[in-house]
Amino acid sequence: MLSVLLLTLLATGVGVARAQTASIGSVENTIGTLIVRRADGRVDEVRGKGSLPLYEGDECHTEKASKALIKLSDGTQVAMNAETKFRYQTRQERTKGTTKIFKLLLGELWMRTVGPSQIEVETPVATAAIKGTEFNIKVDGEGKSTLTVIEGVVEFGTPFGTCPIPKSTQSFGERGKRCTKPVPVDPAPVTAWIADVAR
Amino acid sequence: MSWPIVRSIATAAVLQLAAACATAPPPAPEVKVNNRLYVANESSNAVSVIDASTLAPLRTIPLDRKGAHDLALTRDGRTLFVSNLLSGAVAVIDTATFEVTATIVTGNRCHSLALTNDEKQLWVVNIGENNISIVDVPRLRVLGTIADVAKLPGHVRLSRDGRFAYVTSQEDGRVNVIETATFKVVKSIEVGRLPHFIIVSPDGRYLWGGNTGGREVYVIDMTTNERVATIPVGPKPQHIGFGVRGMFGPFAYVAVEDADEVVVIDAKPGAYNIVDRIKVTSKPSGIGASPEGGRIYVGTQGNDQLQVIDTGTHRVIGSVPVGIKPVGVVATQ
Repeated sequence: MLSVLLLTLLATGVGVARAQTASIGSVENTIGTLIVRRADGRVDEVRGKGSLPLYEGDECHTEKASKALIKLSDGTQVAMNAETKFRYQTRQERTKGTTKIFKLLLGELWMRTVGPSQIEVETPVATAAIKGTEFNIKVDGEGKSTLTVIEGVVEFGTPFGTCPIPKSTQSFGERGKRCTKPVPVDPAPVTAWIADVAR
Repeated sequence: MSWPIVRSIATAAVLQLAAACATAPPPAPEVKVNNRLYVANESSNAVSVIDASTLAPLRTIPLDRKGAHDLALTRDGRTLFVSNLLSGAVAVIDTATFEVTATIVTGNRCHSLALTNDEKQLWVVNIGENNISIVDVPRLRVLGTIADVAKLPGHVRLSRDGRFAYVTSQEDGRVNVIETATFKVVKSIEVGRLPHFIIVSPDGRYLWGGNTGGREVYVIDMTTNERVATIPVGPKPQHIGFGVRGMFGPFAYVAVEDADEVVVIDAKPGAYNIVDRIKVTSKPSGIGASPEGGRIYVGTQGNDQLQVIDTGTHRVIGSVPVGIKPVGVVATQ
């Protein structure tokens, strides 16, 4: 059922591909089309079930009416809703090790981690830091970010302040403002969109 | 438990503690990090560390990311941030151990750096994305970006009261003023062709900058956000530092890259006349000033040196080899 089209659309004039390190996980399922732009400019298109490895520096982009499920090597599941774009990168710290960073430029991500895992989602206006939890985060065209925590606690911060967002609550972040106080929310309708891709 | 037993247990505990204290190694002396110069060598991806008194090289710190460009040093001199222009990441260096302790990816072609006055945030200009990343310094975490701050943004500086940030917009020849409470551009000041470097004057009132696509430096009054002077200095003015000459000053020292000169301008408000031209070799770019204003340190890209100007005599009194293309220079305060 693997239907991975390797199109090798060289978007840049770079002739030598930058060496990438070990895979950070793989795309497991796609509804519609997922486009993966590698750090060297090569482009892979993914459709249907199958496994395409992902690497640091990759930019993933779902098209209209498309969704994708990614499984990281530590077991974390990441679902992408339609018209979502993120870049995967890491931060290295001598004392804390590696933090996985999803730079979410647009759209919606759902994530469920397995055990302790240092993950951050950076939106244009805020950052959500996770240490073992389940949550959903959505970014609109203006960068406004909506965080819904399903399990555990997420540290949600903008340049104007950081606060913990507990389970079954929601907080908003926008340019030039603190993130809002968490308000109770039923997470089920918020995450209904993952039913067909992640279950 | 009887009193003699309690007493003997207590005595044994005290003796044990005393023995432990006697054998414990003395605490390591704190490493001094003052009186140093740091140079970002863009093409050798390394930072040179130099003793400011003797000019003796202390260490070369290699970076795993590429294109060391700009430097920001905390007031206590213990943490150095280095932008890696080609890799879009900022390296964090513990200056006591000379080790890279963290690497933070910010954005495409991250270029220049500015610490906020409270040093809680590091503002990072990403030329390739026309935005500024705000890094939370204690957590080393990017907390957000300010989009569309400029076209090909160059350098960023914050006002002394922290209310405004200034960023050069190289493509359209302007300096944009960002209100830090809202992250909105509240004013745009036309300054000339390809404005690149900017620095706040020692009194905190004026912003000085150089037009690398032209031949002049400009001065902006930060209380009115109006350009108050334009001073022709020569082709391709780069970085600027401030110094004093005995009882006179402050003076602005401008690296004029294509003239192989450091041009000295009387920086007293309203004066702005050129008082000297100091020849250096070759292609001066980055400038750092000693905290008391008696030395100006100039990175020269043409011969990979750091040259030292004595502000009392305006003579080049020394030079030291550094890495390839030394573009950023900073001295401990």
